[in-house]
Amino acid sequence: MLRAAIKGVFANKMRLSLTAFAIVIGVAFVAASFVFTDTISARFDALLDTSATGVDVYVRPAPPETGDTFQNAEFGSIPEDTIDSVLTTPGVRIAEGGVVGFAQIVNKEGEAVGGQGPPTLGYSWSIDRSLSPVTIRDGNGRGPEIAGEVVIDANSANGNNLSVGDTITVLTIGAPEEFLLVGIASFGESDSLAGATLAMFTLDEAQRLFGLEGRFSAISVAAESGVTPEELAANISTTTNGDIEVVTAEESNDEQLEAISEGLGFLNIALLAFAAVAVFVGAFIISNTFRIIVAQRTKELALLRAIGATGRQVTWMVVIEALIVGFVASVIGIGVGVLLAIGLGAAMNAFGLNMPEGPLTLLPRTVIVGMAVGLIVTVVSALLPARKAARIPPVAAMNEELARPKRRSLHVRAVVGSITVGLGIAALLVGLFTSVNGGIWFVAIGALVFFLGVSIIAPLAAGPVATVLGWPLPRMFGVAGQLAQDNTRRQPRRTASTASALMIGVALVVFVAVFGASIKSSISSSVTDTFPGDFSVQSTNFAVGVSPTFTEEVRSLSEIGNVSTLKIGSAVVEGSNTTIVAVDPETITTVTSIDVSAGAFESLAETDGVLVLESVMNENGWSVGDSIVIVYPQDPGGPIEIAGTITSTNFGDFIITQSSYAVGFSNSTDYYVFANSADGVAIVDARAAIDGVAADYPNVKVQNKSELIADAEAQIDQMLVLFTGLLFLAIIIAVLGITNTLALAIIERTREIGLLRAVGMVQRQVRRMIRWEAVIIALFGAVMGVGVGLFLGWAVVRALADEGLGSFAVPMGQIVILVLLAGVAGVIAAIYPSWKASRLNILDAIAYE
Amino acid sequence: MGPSGSGKSTLLHTLAGLDTLTEGSVYIGETELGSLKDRDLTILRREEVGFIFQTFNLIPTLNAQENILLPLSIAGVKPDQEWYGKVVDAVGLSDRLDHRPSELSGGQQQRVAAARALVSKPAIVFADEPSGNLDSVASGELLDFMRTAVREFDQTIVMVTHDPIAASYSDRIIFLDDGDIVDEMTDPTPDSILEQMKHLGA
Repeated sequence: MLRAAIKGVFANKMRLSLTAFAIVIGVAFVAASFVFTDTISARFDALLDTSATGVDVYVRPAPPETGDTFQNAEFGSIPEDTIDSVLTTPGVRIAEGGVVGFAQIVNKEGEAVGGQGPPTLGYSWSIDRSLSPVTIRDGNGRGPEIAGEVVIDANSANGNNLSVGDTITVLTIGAPEEFLLVGIASFGESDSLAGATLAMFTLDEAQRLFGLEGRFSAISVAAESGVTPEELAANISTTTNGDIEVVTAEESNDEQLEAISEGLGFLNIALLAFAAVAVFVGAFIISNTFRIIVAQRTKELALLRAIGATGRQVTWMVVIEALIVGFVASVIGIGVGVLLAIGLGAAMNAFGLNMPEGPLTLLPRTVIVGMAVGLIVTVVSALLPARKAARIPPVAAMNEELARPKRRSLHVRAVVGSITVGLGIAALLVGLFTSVNGGIWFVAIGALVFFLGVSIIAPLAAGPVATVLGWPLPRMFGVAGQLAQDNTRRQPRRTASTASALMIGVALVVFVAVFGASIKSSISSSVTDTFPGDFSVQSTNFAVGVSPTFTEEVRSLSEIGNVSTLKIGSAVVEGSNTTIVAVDPETITTVTSIDVSAGAFESLAETDGVLVLESVMNENGWSVGDSIVIVYPQDPGGPIEIAGTITSTNFGDFIITQSSYAVGFSNSTDYYVFANSADGVAIVDARAAIDGVAADYPNVKVQNKSELIADAEAQIDQMLVLFTGLLFLAIIIAVLGITNTLALAIIERTREIGLLRAVGMVQRQVRRMIRWEAVIIALFGAVMGVGVGLFLGWAVVRALADEGLGSFAVPMGQIVILVLLAGVAGVIAAIYPSWKASRLNILDAIAYE
Repeated sequence: MGPSGSGKSTLLHTLAGLDTLTEGSVYIGETELGSLKDRDLTILRREEVGFIFQTFNLIPTLNAQENILLPLSIAGVKPDQEWYGKVVDAVGLSDRLDHRPSELSGGQQQRVAAARALVSKPAIVFADEPSGNLDSVASGELLDFMRTAVREFDQTIVMVTHDPIAASYSDRIIFLDDGDIVDEMTDPTPDSILEQMKHLGA
């Protein structure tokens, strides 16, 4: 049987290789996701390992309960004199304090460098070089020795043509300042620390720039020989006191690694999600191919039965064929995945997210998971056709007519399909609209089951849909058009499952388009509703806001009237980590219109309390006047009074005063600065004045209302393009599925095509017949996909209505274009099969057996 | 006529423009087939040649009428209704025109194929064992119709067969063996054919 299976694979090379493509793509995404993240963590591991050799222990502030200091620019600190007790601790050889803070380099064109990805950081320069991972290579200058000098990382220097001796501007939380570039830093072999931009100053200078006079961000300690880092850490813990934490360098490295892999987690999830889509679409194509192959080999399989093979053996033969295909495809997929991971690394470098250099990491786990995914999906998809093969009666070897399976009624299908669709929708709705645990899984599995259900029902629709979609064909192309239409109706199951594979990709693209359009339309209405002011200012740096010095300068402009700001940060509210917003209750209403209960801001100012979103109040059973506990990164906080309710969702769940914020957070930057022109000043003049201030701060952007909307929309568009691009891969797989189905159908219809050619059909008409069949299948899939995608989009948008997604928008233009593209994809899918069909040798086609 | 492997079908295929010659030439009317490109050859088959094969003569998705009119629809030509009516009457299928091939008997299917071969008024019809798969009654009906086509419609038909009864419907028989013409007979009867074949076999 094994030999028969292997021969079967070789006999069907072409069709199976088209099928295998789907598996290759799916496995490639799985493998790429693992290889990429494994490689990055291995490289960072190596980098951190070599870079921190001199340090054994760090003494640093106790971590804020909110964790996640990276995101909101919260830098904790400890008093400078902590070092005195560290230095007297037994086992300490050297100890040196340093500070870290926000610093962003400005290039010669006056543009802020980086800030859209990796952090932009400033450090103090260690006196003892053995305690620093940073080195300056020969010829690259020296470390900073006096105030006014700076060293920057080699990657930033090279990328911006900066060299030793240049005067450069560095942005910090204060006013921008100019520094003399005295050195260019490297990190072992690497030019950059994972793409972060670094600026290093003398300790005093750094403390002044970061607002940390008299304080350290951390103390690096090296042990005397014979003392282990653990012993040293234990010793220091006993001799120091205060709000500090002592960790070994190894622990600190592990934390950083974890933070890096967490930061890359989204990428991992995205890759695996696309792998899942590819594999799911692939499953349809594999199942379809095996079904057709089994049908075409009825005689051969029946002969095996006639000479004594059991039904089980025939099933096994088909399953083994699937195993062989799955195995080969998975091996190729893993190879492609490695290439994909390399490409991904190159793409990240191109975006300035520099990855450390080093070898690629291919763990056995990656190979095992990749192979398992490929094999399981292929075999599971082939299982139904394999079972069917076992039911072929031996008599079919003699007479194919007898072998034709009786057309099973579509009623069963209708019932099963409807139930499946119902289950899928139910799971979707439960996941979306109830607060069930693991809601996202309900949504994902619900969508999957829903897709399956639709594909089960689809054969019922295939006939009527082909009748409608194909209506113009006989009128346009005569008998070739009519045959194209007839052929799609001929085997509704086959047409439908081919179309279903396309449906999935189209549905996801439509879903993303609807979701994006809805977000965009919600954004423009929420901006219009909540921001009645003239100007809004934001930082272009993801990690840090607008410098308060900028805000003060704007405030002092005579052309500008009311100015108010919004600050944000993470805090722990009643035990859960939440983003909170801080406003100045006296002025905020002059530039924004936040919907709150009557007198809420007055009451907020009076009590220094908190405003809470109405739905959050209801969920927790709170009412105005209650106290809730909020813990801030820099302050243990405590009970705080609820001063009122927020009734619109555009400003988050919690609003506190900026005086509370100043105590709880170290970050003094503004997330938003809103400003109005002064009375009697023309908008253009006010704009010119505010732009004049902004010119000194290359990391702020000043926008009016329409620019703000356009900017937000452009960001969403970028995301949409990325997602749609990846989802098009699923569509390409499905288009190959159409090619495959048609190629197989042509083998089945060899004699028919031969007959048509004999009685006078020219090659062009044959190609036309196949092409339009492909177009109908593609349009069928696209139409189903649009329907399903619209439903999914509608459900998700409705479910997120509470989160501020107020409007449901359908991008009709995009959807029409998508359907037309599907038609074109059908034409492309038909190129190979139609060429093949038109070149059939008539004699072979009509020859008798 | 001729035994298996005598070259009957190959001859038929080359005459009909389905196969290409390695030497020699074939004319249909004034046209030499060897010089034609695929497209012109296809159009010539459509306009000047009719076909009846042994099996699989009909497109399963088309009904009888559509199958009969197939060469004309492929050409995008309107059928001559009077002629079409005559052919359909003669073939005796007027009441089955809207049936699909799967709903017709083998004999009926072959008669549909025969009607299709005639409907475009071709210069010549080639029939390759047209009654090979039929029982004697159906076979008789088909051959009667083919004979009617010759007598009443002046249609030239070239038929390949190894069945003496089928061959006896023809006006002239050419016997082939190993690719050569070995004998010829006019106005045959089943008995005279059998006699001749015995002679050839010996």
